[in-house]
Amino acid sequence: MTCKHEDTRNCFVLEGKMALPNQYFAGRLGSKFIIALRDKKKIMGVRCQKCSKTFIPPREYCEQCWSKIAENWVDLGSEGELVNFTVIRYNDKHLPKKAPYVLGQIKLTGADTPLTHVIQGIDPKDVHVGMKVKAVFAEKTTNTIMDLDHFEPV
Amino acid sequence: MAEYFGATVADIFNTMPERFKPEEAKDVDIVIGYEATGEGGGKWTATIKHGTLKVEKVEELKGCKTTIHADAEIFVGVTLGKITAIDALTSQKLRVVGDARLLMTLLPKIFVPFTVTPRKKAVSARAILATVESRFRPEKAEGVTMNIGYDLTGENGGQWTLMIKDGRCTVREGFAEDLAVKLIMDADVYAGMMLGTIDGASAFTSGQVRIEGDMMAAAATTKFFHKYVDPNAAEAEELICLRVTNSIDQRFASGPVMGRWFAGLKEKKFMANKCPECGRTQIPPREICAICRVRVHEFVELGPKGTVTNFDIVYFASPDPLTGAVRDTPYTPIYVVLDGASEQDAFAFELKKEDIDRIKVGAKVRPVWADKPTGSFRDVLYFELDR
Amino acid sequence: MKKHKKNRNVAIIGIGQTSLSSHKEDQNQVEMVQEAVINALQDAHLTIDDIDCIVHGNMELFEMQFAPDLWHSLGTGAYGKDEYRITTGGTTGMTLVCAADNLVASGLYDTVLAIGLEKLQEGNTTGGITNMADPLWFRNLQTGALTGTTAAEMINEFGEERAKRAAMKYRIMMDKHAVLNPRAHRRFGLEYEQAEDLMANSPQLVGELRLIHMCSQSDGACAMIFTSEKKAGKGTGKPPVWIRDHIQGHREETIPNLFGAVKPEMTHHYCARKLYERNGITDPVAYFDVFEMYDPSAWWAMDWLREFFLLKGDEHIKMLERGDFDLDGKIPINPSGGVIASNPIGATAMLRPAEAALQIRGDAGPHQIKKEVRHALASGFGGTFWTALMILEKDLNW
Repeated sequence: MTCKHEDTRNCFVLEGKMALPNQYFAGRLGSKFIIALRDKKKIMGVRCQKCSKTFIPPREYCEQCWSKIAENWVDLGSEGELVNFTVIRYNDKHLPKKAPYVLGQIKLTGADTPLTHVIQGIDPKDVHVGMKVKAVFAEKTTNTIMDLDHFEPV
Repeated sequence: MAEYFGATVADIFNTMPERFKPEEAKDVDIVIGYEATGEGGGKWTATIKHGTLKVEKVEELKGCKTTIHADAEIFVGVTLGKITAIDALTSQKLRVVGDARLLMTLLPKIFVPFTVTPRKKAVSARAILATVESRFRPEKAEGVTMNIGYDLTGENGGQWTLMIKDGRCTVREGFAEDLAVKLIMDADVYAGMMLGTIDGASAFTSGQVRIEGDMMAAAATTKFFHKYVDPNAAEAEELICLRVTNSIDQRFASGPVMGRWFAGLKEKKFMANKCPECGRTQIPPREICAICRVRVHEFVELGPKGTVTNFDIVYFASPDPLTGAVRDTPYTPIYVVLDGASEQDAFAFELKKEDIDRIKVGAKVRPVWADKPTGSFRDVLYFELDR
Repeated sequence: MKKHKKNRNVAIIGIGQTSLSSHKEDQNQVEMVQEAVINALQDAHLTIDDIDCIVHGNMELFEMQFAPDLWHSLGTGAYGKDEYRITTGGTTGMTLVCAADNLVASGLYDTVLAIGLEKLQEGNTTGGITNMADPLWFRNLQTGALTGTTAAEMINEFGEERAKRAAMKYRIMMDKHAVLNPRAHRRFGLEYEQAEDLMANSPQLVGELRLIHMCSQSDGACAMIFTSEKKAGKGTGKPPVWIRDHIQGHREETIPNLFGAVKPEMTHHYCARKLYERNGITDPVAYFDVFEMYDPSAWWAMDWLREFFLLKGDEHIKMLERGDFDLDGKIPINPSGGVIASNPIGATAMLRPAEAALQIRGDAGPHQIKKEVRHALASGFGGTFWTALMILEKDLNW
């Protein structure tokens, strides 16, 4: 099939926008997690005793056995191992850092699920799976996961 | 005075001047009256004129453009956000005589929200100093050897030395001999600074804090320690809410069929298309007639005058998602059957603001065009009554 | 008994709701979803392992969170299961139920869990709805779902006094029902004596649509579990409620086209006419024992009762004036308090069949109708006036 030559004389384009205010409630559990990051510089997870699994970010119910684990807080320390990563090479207004930067998945010591976060303090070409990293907390806090500013090599 | 949710009605008005944002109220000229009934109630007026605010407790509400009335408890609850304003307004527990929109539009713009600081148990300087060792960050003080003296005066005061050496920090009472720097202040000022209720820099400039010795060293010490966290602060009560305005730039394409409508607007004409089966006119023009399920090729010019079939005078101020800005109310979309259109096919236009009071179903209206139409909904400024 | 073709019969066997409120600051979306899901599973005496497929729905623009089904999967239990996402505006909740009905009836899945939710407090509802309008024309003028056009039409047809009274009586009746429903969001305790005051003094939103007439903005979730005839009633918690038939009707016009000098047949009327005809129902008012109607405002509710019951002239207003729609009336409307009382949009249209099914089971709670409920009608409404309508039955006798 060939592409028909379209008459575009009557085709108009309107510049527009979609701008709406919104808010997000982190909930009781999510707030506790962020506040621990912000005020105590601690990364907290929750543990399911039944499945012997520690989840981060925290969740109310174990996704495997559906038992309530909201109160089983575990301090995960601030060090872990990089289990996966990618390099962000373009800039956009919604991105947390200036490109190029590394987005990594960090398995904190004692956690069973990785936390996705920014890796800094190392040339992107030297980043490798298995490297040990530690958390660096933000000086200026924003009540978001960016209160943990980034991870850097140990 | 009766307290509700940890505050009195008077607190709201007493804090009004410090919550006022004059730069946002430059073009405002209004007197708002407030009446809180029941225990702890009273009457107040807020006179806002060209960036100034005058709050008065009064006997009678006089000369007010808008008055707000509620029971004292509702009044405090709504102001603090503990009671949903829209629910109180809907159930008439909160009444507004005059312009109710200012609750949602003007007031949030010109006032910082009223909040209540939870009362905390006093924390002593001694208790804070006891946490210094555990808050030490050895990674930030690598290679640093320094003794810092604190001379805290006043009732809860004392003398302490923070000794930093070999990646460790120890606190002992009294002064060591070789102090790099000595900080002298009232014990309560120290506690306030650590709790964040007193700003360190201004405490220094105002002379509340004196520094003897290496001033740069004193400034550097803050990064050696984690922030002090008040154990009495009700952290479980803090529920985090993130507020953002998501804004995405977009481009919308008309396509060639609806585009005939816009091509017509450029020539100040209303171009519809006409179903070959049922004969109805379609605005905007559509490729097919969905009822007869046939292609529609014939275009016809309608109007420019038309007859109003229904209208909406909108008082509720909502955001225009095309711009993100809150709309100026009232505005009035009118539904118009253009001359020559089939009678079931209305289309919507905006009515000229000056004609809002006189609009009626059945009224004859005519378009007012932009000087230079470009092919967009902005080409018709509005419709006005045809006299 | 006349019936519509269906491959196999489908029963509602589990119903779960969260409380419906203006704020849920202590729960994030996932936790709210999970609360409804756990309530539904407990109601059905099932575990998440018994669920074969999940249908999920809300509207992205109300929370401004994209791909919510993905990050709600912790709460829905969709991990490792088939999941469908449905988002059809106001009808979302009802479309979810229609889809679950079809999925089970088709034979592809035995047991399906449907979840509708919304946290309207997290977004700007009216701004979000305004985005349904064509950006090239009318998005600059639409004001969400707020319109006074129906009020204007009713005032024109029945006179100002009678029309305003009818809308306000309906509104206060809904509040009286909501007061009895512990899950309802807005329970004001309004009295009929307040009608005059409210008619004159409630703030105007658009034309004669006043704040008191309009539905709430709520946070909440609803979950329902559906299963096949073969599995229904075997080890499940409550007696099954049967979905006899459902219909959905869309229209082609956009809102600016809706108010011509001659009105096209409303989708409510079209759906009701078709649905009753193919199920052999000649007198809907006599046949049904309760109607849970999607009533976004008191004006629309009054106008739509005429459409749904295929009534003529002022019959619907007479019925209201006589008290036929009260809890102990001839055909009670919205014992739950309806959308006017509670409106978490993605869940709202699901709450209609959910509340109707609770009435059939006889365990709605304090707002249970006194007389036996055997036949229930439930409706959904959305977008540019489109309709979903469903018949629920106590007995499987066709």
